[in-house]
Amino acid sequence: MTISVGEELPELRRVVTAADVAAYAEAGGDRNPLHLDDAFARSVGFDGVIAHGMFTMAQMVTAVTKWAGEDAFIQRVTAQFRAPVFMGEEIRAGGTVRAVDGDTVTVDTWVAVERRRSTEWPIKKGQVVLRMPVRR
Amino acid sequence: MNPAAEGTVYADVPFTVDPARVAAFRRVLGVAEGVPPTFVTSAEFTVFPHVIQDPNLALDFSRVLHGSQEYTYERPLREGETLSVRARIDSIRQKGDTGFLIVVMELRDGQGQLVCTARSQMVERAP
Repeated sequence: MTISVGEELPELRRVVTAADVAAYAEAGGDRNPLHLDDAFARSVGFDGVIAHGMFTMAQMVTAVTKWAGEDAFIQRVTAQFRAPVFMGEEIRAGGTVRAVDGDTVTVDTWVAVERRRSTEWPIKKGQVVLRMPVRR
Repeated sequence: MNPAAEGTVYADVPFTVDPARVAAFRRVLGVAEGVPPTFVTSAEFTVFPHVIQDPNLALDFSRVLHGSQEYTYERPLREGETLSVRARIDSIRQKGDTGFLIVVMELRDGQGQLVCTARSQMVERAP
């Protein structure tokens, strides 16, 4: 695969549903009611249940793995969770190649959502470091 | 939270990379094969109950938000293998009524080789 610094990854888009988040809670094991129970989420100050930060991070990593292909080895992943994601919202995950060093590729990653005509960043400065076959 | 709980190391907990659970995780993400890197969260949530229920730490999980997450992998997880997970309280900080907890978990294979390190920052919001 030919990779150059500054290359933008294809965006991964997904509308987040309560069914997705419930399935994620089962598979991932985080059954915090903040993600499952609207009444609870409202009682702690949110406008309804929010997706797990890890659900959002998983979309971010999936955007990278779908781009990199199955030969890639993910070495390091980081994310800070900055904004909630509500049910019915479409999230977009993407990234830009920051560095290529031998077979090690660093991608700056993000997850965005449009809300009330502005862009919110559930993840603004994520990063994925991977090893993959690189051709120059 | 009790700041004196910093440095607590919890007992190892076994975690099997259950192929059925991995398949369920893949379905949610819409990926076809392999163990998704963030599947490690399942291992973390096998151990978190020990942390959440630690009376010495005194964390109020109903007020907890996930602040940030880092994973470092030595190799991919393999379906069917059993790993041991060791959790440690790396740091506890308080800013006003908000608490910041960093938990580090190490996943090791049957030979004791490190497979993945997970570092989670949890934010305990003001009551």
